[in-house]
Amino acid sequence: MSSPQPFKVEVDQAVLDTIIEKVRAYDWHEMPEIAAGGDRWAYGTDMVYLKELCSYWTKNFNWRAAEEQLNAFPQFTCEVDGQSIHFYHVKGSGSAPQPIILTHGWPGSVFEFVHILDHLAHPEKHGGDAEDGLTLIVPSLPGYGFSGKPQKPLGPKRTAALWDKLMRTHLGYDTYIAQGGDWGSVVTGWLGYNHGTDKDGGCKAIHVNMWGLRPAGVLPETEEEQAWAGAVGATMQAESAYLQLQATKPQSLSYAMMDSPVGIAAWIIEKFNTWSDTRGPDGSSNIENAYTKDQLLTNIMIYLVTRTFNTSTWFYRGYFEDGGSDMAPDTRVEIPTGMAVFPEEFIKLPPRSMAEKGYNITHWSEFDTGGHFAALETGSVFADEIISFARTQKG
Amino acid sequence: MTRRTIPADPFTIHVPDHEIADLKHRLEQTRFPNEPEGNDQWSYGTNLSYMERLIAYWRDDFDWRKQEARLNAFPQYKVTLTDENDQDHEIHFLYEKGSGDNAIPLIMTHGWPSTFREFLDVVDQLAHPETYGKQGPAFDVIVPSLIGYGFSSKPRIPVGPAIIADLWHELMTHVLGYDTYVAQAGDWGSFVTSRLALQHADAVSAIHLTMLPLRPHLKHESQPPVTEAEAKWIAEMRAWWAQEEGYRSIQSTKPMALAFALMDSPAGLAGWLADKYYRLGDTDKTHTWKGMDTRFPMDTLLTQLSIYWFTGTINAANTLYKAGPAEGSALLKPGQRVTTPTAYTEYPMDTLPITPRSWAERSYNLKRFRVMEKGGHFAAMEEPEIFAHDVREAFRELLD
Repeated sequence: MSSPQPFKVEVDQAVLDTIIEKVRAYDWHEMPEIAAGGDRWAYGTDMVYLKELCSYWTKNFNWRAAEEQLNAFPQFTCEVDGQSIHFYHVKGSGSAPQPIILTHGWPGSVFEFVHILDHLAHPEKHGGDAEDGLTLIVPSLPGYGFSGKPQKPLGPKRTAALWDKLMRTHLGYDTYIAQGGDWGSVVTGWLGYNHGTDKDGGCKAIHVNMWGLRPAGVLPETEEEQAWAGAVGATMQAESAYLQLQATKPQSLSYAMMDSPVGIAAWIIEKFNTWSDTRGPDGSSNIENAYTKDQLLTNIMIYLVTRTFNTSTWFYRGYFEDGGSDMAPDTRVEIPTGMAVFPEEFIKLPPRSMAEKGYNITHWSEFDTGGHFAALETGSVFADEIISFARTQKG
Repeated sequence: MTRRTIPADPFTIHVPDHEIADLKHRLEQTRFPNEPEGNDQWSYGTNLSYMERLIAYWRDDFDWRKQEARLNAFPQYKVTLTDENDQDHEIHFLYEKGSGDNAIPLIMTHGWPSTFREFLDVVDQLAHPETYGKQGPAFDVIVPSLIGYGFSSKPRIPVGPAIIADLWHELMTHVLGYDTYVAQAGDWGSFVTSRLALQHADAVSAIHLTMLPLRPHLKHESQPPVTEAEAKWIAEMRAWWAQEEGYRSIQSTKPMALAFALMDSPAGLAGWLADKYYRLGDTDKTHTWKGMDTRFPMDTLLTQLSIYWFTGTINAANTLYKAGPAEGSALLKPGQRVTTPTAYTEYPMDTLPITPRSWAERSYNLKRFRVMEKGGHFAAMEEPEIFAHDVREAFRELLD
């Protein structure tokens, strides 16, 4: 069995130069005319904003500073069942910090969590109690970022099995908590469903901020549940094309994306804009109400320097090859489950009554701000939510 | 004869040398993706070994000047027309006058991911049947580039088939001076052609389609109940599309999320489009690339791709998928039907089931229904002789 090897992000200058050169040489073109006051993202990515981002990218963005930020916490790689996994491993404060595995999604990365790692591991430095400190394990999904590229698509169900093995066999944590949004919520759901302490796994509780793994054959009953189902259906109609494409023909998209840094940036920021809480104090929407350019670009650069855009999209295909995300009929996640509802999450979480049909809900939080990338968007709000859930699982 | 009131200017394609050099440079710099195991049958999308061969050929062997000369062998023109929203469009069209004094004016419209090149191998056969030992009729052949495609202009505000149909009618009447004419098309061209028949029924004498785009209003009393055969066909179509429609979903919702990569990478453009030729063409899919090479010789496919690349139109072309549905012009009104005599010819495509004739009759005044043994979605390129013969026979019958 392989043991974890220390890892640092160190990208060759030549790799960075190639990317920047390509961005600088981008030959801008037209976009459909948008009437004054209209939504500049109505056709997808707003070219005006993308130009601004690319100008910052070539002139101001400093990858070495981003690298320093990424390297501020201990990282490792480890072969788990032949798949190389990159992860942060940060020991928490206090007498018995509980281990928790935090899982990102697409088109995110471990960067979503980096700025709250210190808060979660050492709450005493952020106005909290050292005894609430958590030991953090934050892996890059297979085929994402600094994890290895699988030979063929691998989905969330099989990833959950890798995570349980990483936690128990490789890191020696007999029990742990799991948390995730986006694909992370599906992986986390599978951890709770297939690898819970009620089965023969090590996952003792889960917390999700997206509706990932779903109970089979459960239909909306109450008026509130039906309204939710209708809203989700409408969202999927307008927003699910990327998913449909990546789940069926990822390779048809990959030739363009893997040959174009600006192309990848456009594809990714469209999601950050659409899925996030971009509302400003004056009621207007702007992606920079949610993120700085440095944040957007650091996440994009992780896809570019590792050349993992293509393999990241395979996860969608792997999801269908896994058999999707339905639990078996008349079963649910029995271990304690926390859910956090952020208002601008694009796939709305169901009403609690509906969620309880699939999970043993012991903790339910609703927030006024934040969206799909809640950890990155709300920072300490998200960290405090995780800490308060973990506190209920002590002992 | 309608009086010609709008003059068209002769047009010759000439791509500047520096653009050819830039394309070659980009192809040399191409960075290919990796590929999952088990993609020999293109099940995850465009195959890598095919792409490596295609890009190497485009870079080292493809002779654009030779293809350009072939395109320029037919007379072409440009004319600027204004749509109902006061937007100007510069329309590029090929115009080959037919033999004899009684040639029938025929406007043929391509679709996506194609260009006016699709019809190049049938223009002469349709205009001059006698040189191929065929009986008439002969046609005056007009092949425009769709708005936003090839050498037509890119719209500031995207337009759909209903608006394009009005422009085509103006082209046929006020630019070329015809009172009546016939029309032929598949893919997006079939939307335009169906709208042409609906909106200008007095002028359009007959149409020939290789795709049936209009959707009947099934709940209206004029529509008979859906038959068992139709229900089965609809279910099979849906299952096929569920696997294949990713490209359509993204282009119809967020074309500008995709455009930046396709406009930056000729290999990316090729990867995005080649999959459609492979899947929708009548390609032998038992070998990774031999079927493609046979069906779509690389010179032919790369001419199509080069037109997209040199004109920088993939962005505008994809946006038709958003502008079309936004116009709502494919759904017939309750009780509405195309009254123009219509011929429909179905060419086999992948594993798609054969359309029931009854389905075609719901939306069209169907006079002729043919199912071909071979041909595919790009039949005019794939089987030009079969295609030309079928179009000629169809219009002979419809106009009889």
